[in-house]
Amino acid sequence: MAAGSSRRSMSPLAWVGVGIGALLMAAPLLWTLLLSLKANAELMRDSGTAFSAPYTLENYASILRGNMVFRWLLNSVIVSLGTTLGVLALCSLAGYGFARLEFPFRRTLFVFVLLGLAIPEQAVVLPQHRLFADLGLHNSYPGLILPGLAGPFGVFFMTQYFRAIPRELDEAAMLDGASRFTTFWKVLLPLTAPAQATLGVFTFLASWNSYWWPLISATRGDMFTLTVGLASSQMNYAQTSGLGFLMAQAVFASIPIFIVYLLFQKQIVKAMAGAAVR
Amino acid sequence: MTGAGMRNRWGGIAFVAPFLLVYSFLLIYPLFNGILLSFHNADLFGGERWIGLANYSRLLQDPTFHQSLLNTFKLALLIVPTLTAISLALALALNKPGRTPAIFRGLFFSSSVLSVTIVTLIWRFILTPDAGLMAEVAEALGQEPIPWLSHPDLTIPALAITTIWWSVGLPMMLFLAGLQQIPEDMYEAAALDRAGRWTTFRRITLPSLKRTTILVVMLQTAAQLQIFGQAQLLTAGGPSGASRPVVLYIYEASFGRWELGYATALAEVLFMLIIAVTLVQYWAGTRVKDA
Amino acid sequence: MPSLELENIRKAYGETLVLDDVSLTMEAREFIAFLGPSGSGKSTLLRIIAGLETLDSGEVRLEGQRIDGLPPGERGVAMVFQHYALYPHMSVYDNMAFGLRNAKVPKEEIETRVADAARVLEIEEHLQKKPGQMSGGQRQRVAIGRAIVKHPRIFLLDEPLSNLDAALRMRTRVELAQLRQKVDAAVIMVTHDQAEAMTLADRIVVMNDRKIQQVGPPMEIYARPANTFVARFVGSPAMTLAPATLVAEAAGEHATVRIGDGAVIATRVPRAGLPETGLELGLRPENVRVVAAGEGSDTTAKVELVERLGERTLIYGRLADGQPITAEDEGFSRVRIDDNVGLRIGGEAAHIFGPDGSGHHAEASA
Repeated sequence: MAAGSSRRSMSPLAWVGVGIGALLMAAPLLWTLLLSLKANAELMRDSGTAFSAPYTLENYASILRGNMVFRWLLNSVIVSLGTTLGVLALCSLAGYGFARLEFPFRRTLFVFVLLGLAIPEQAVVLPQHRLFADLGLHNSYPGLILPGLAGPFGVFFMTQYFRAIPRELDEAAMLDGASRFTTFWKVLLPLTAPAQATLGVFTFLASWNSYWWPLISATRGDMFTLTVGLASSQMNYAQTSGLGFLMAQAVFASIPIFIVYLLFQKQIVKAMAGAAVR
Repeated sequence: MTGAGMRNRWGGIAFVAPFLLVYSFLLIYPLFNGILLSFHNADLFGGERWIGLANYSRLLQDPTFHQSLLNTFKLALLIVPTLTAISLALALALNKPGRTPAIFRGLFFSSSVLSVTIVTLIWRFILTPDAGLMAEVAEALGQEPIPWLSHPDLTIPALAITTIWWSVGLPMMLFLAGLQQIPEDMYEAAALDRAGRWTTFRRITLPSLKRTTILVVMLQTAAQLQIFGQAQLLTAGGPSGASRPVVLYIYEASFGRWELGYATALAEVLFMLIIAVTLVQYWAGTRVKDA
Repeated sequence: MPSLELENIRKAYGETLVLDDVSLTMEAREFIAFLGPSGSGKSTLLRIIAGLETLDSGEVRLEGQRIDGLPPGERGVAMVFQHYALYPHMSVYDNMAFGLRNAKVPKEEIETRVADAARVLEIEEHLQKKPGQMSGGQRQRVAIGRAIVKHPRIFLLDEPLSNLDAALRMRTRVELAQLRQKVDAAVIMVTHDQAEAMTLADRIVVMNDRKIQQVGPPMEIYARPANTFVARFVGSPAMTLAPATLVAEAAGEHATVRIGDGAVIATRVPRAGLPETGLELGLRPENVRVVAAGEGSDTTAKVELVERLGERTLIYGRLADGQPITAEDEGFSRVRIDDNVGLRIGGEAAHIFGPDGSGHHAEASA
């Protein structure tokens, strides 16, 4: 993997720089962890007590004892999974169609989809909000999932991937009497497994972390996703149970993301880089 | 690929239709609807009046909007160069095989997978003078804690620091990918020519990274022009709008004051701005000389 | 009834003509090779028969029925692709069964057919493996097996030997010949290698420049090439073509010609009907023998290149007028570069080509 500077070992200056950087990167995370392990009462007096014992798991217990946080977690899971499955289905079908099938206006339609890549969230979010209000879709799972399905990146990604599969396979399938759908379902789709993983993880993360849309669409506390719920906790923290509990929520919210990150690190990096380069 | 006797030419549309329907209805239609809305006096729940360009002339004279524009530019100017430099430095330092560099790379990327609400939660309690980490460190050193989140001159830098911590991972990965595409031969030739470390960097590495650098700058600028969550949650755009970026202003206009028409006009202006800046950067990038 | 008929097939990609009025008839159980250089249209013709390309005009009929409007899966043809196109994620068994399953063939029948094909091709122990776990030769056999189980009326082979290294190529050539005996179908093979076509085919269709140049059994193509293209394309090393003029004074019903360096060669090509001018004399290397100094020779040449093949030696030289000529000598020939050697020309096997390239050949002996 290494090119270029790999042959020269790192200078001490570089080591120091990276070390400081790593410290700066990790310190906030550690601080948050420490705070979450302290009793709220102690922290109210002086948050410096986070540096010393005693530590407690009381805040986490409090979360686990049943709490809005669980409801938020569930919502996030449903919305993110739903969005991911929806995106994979729609974009795989469309990717196959654009990459392999001939139909009138194919090129025009593809350019039509590509242009969507330039549209920033801001240009559509407000009208979308009104549209969903008219359709009565706010504070619902479909309302949270549907906007996530409209993004063109997935189609672009899957189309590129399908294009890279040798056409001979399609031709062999044609000679084997396979219909278009059979060719898609039994021959080509299984070969896109890596792309499915990459796009799936990327979509899942993006959906999980999205803030703007769930913020304005889910206004009832029980429909908050974890991301939005945390924001509301943050804004209300003075009135709620305190700093330790708040930080425990942050750690708790990070756990699913870190699990996904550790499991799918490669896919995530590949997808984000791919999304960037388009 | 056509085959003889494919039953009908339109059959392929069935595959792209589901996505196209969602896309047209939920993205394209709102896009045009938004443009239309910006010419109306509308609120979020129906009821609108055509007012032509009134929203646009209003925003041209709106001092709060101007302030938010300025803030947004300040933020972008603080964040993008620093972020680019830091991520490049990290990529250079960590472009090595082995487990230790891999662990470090993973660490630096990990903040990017967190949501904005987690990040602001974390950083609130770093920066806040009552209970924050920085406050603790300041006390330990016998200093006064710095009012990052309340002093008008400090809120923008505070947001910048938070955002840089959050965003360093992706540009670093892009630079790493760019570095790996530089052929080993170029470095060997430079070594044979007795080029020192700095010269090699300046003459070989940097020029080869031109495309990646332009990409990073373009992406980050577009992203930071749309900065929102950190401003809303950490500083609420304050004090008195000192750290309110454009998107926060749009949010307040639409969900605070129900001025949907005006907010959409603001959003369209932002949209145009992003496109303009991106194009200028792209054009400028093609003018910079290659290696 | 002929098994395959191609009638006036024409195809163009946009402005570019790819096949120009191609017609052909093929009998049942024939093994035909489409032979030609790249760009000749041979692969396109194969794909049109398979249904992977449409034709602009003309008809394709299989056992009397028109098939050019049918989708590939319904034509009763099976194809072995140049790079095999096996489904990488399916086992060998599933690769072979896929087409049958799509045709709703009953399960027991599928099992029988796959087992039979696997036995014939000796890939029984690989049935549960994936293509990625097999060697190139084995994968080719799977590709053939996939074609066999469909019990097609025609097999289409697209450059089956091009991917293989020399040793494997010889083996596979033998296997293909044996396979041909075991299946009850016609076979069309596309190739650019004239040796493959010569050894495997019952008839060769030589194609060039979007048209069929000649159709016939291998030996006929070799001995009586219809034009200069076929004459030079088939046979290695290539036939020598030298501009020639008729010797009008020569008596007899066969043509006698003079070539550029003055040598006079008596051929057995009937003189009647030959054009008067613009002729070329065609000589295959095996009919131009190097003779020892002093023995009767028809002409001399200066040697430019010597290739020793073991059982014979190829001499590439130039005649006095600069005309290149290829000759043969025995394996232990002592000829060296820059030597001047005598050549005896076997005029009785010579060919004459007219100004339009068409070939005139020696009369067959009784």
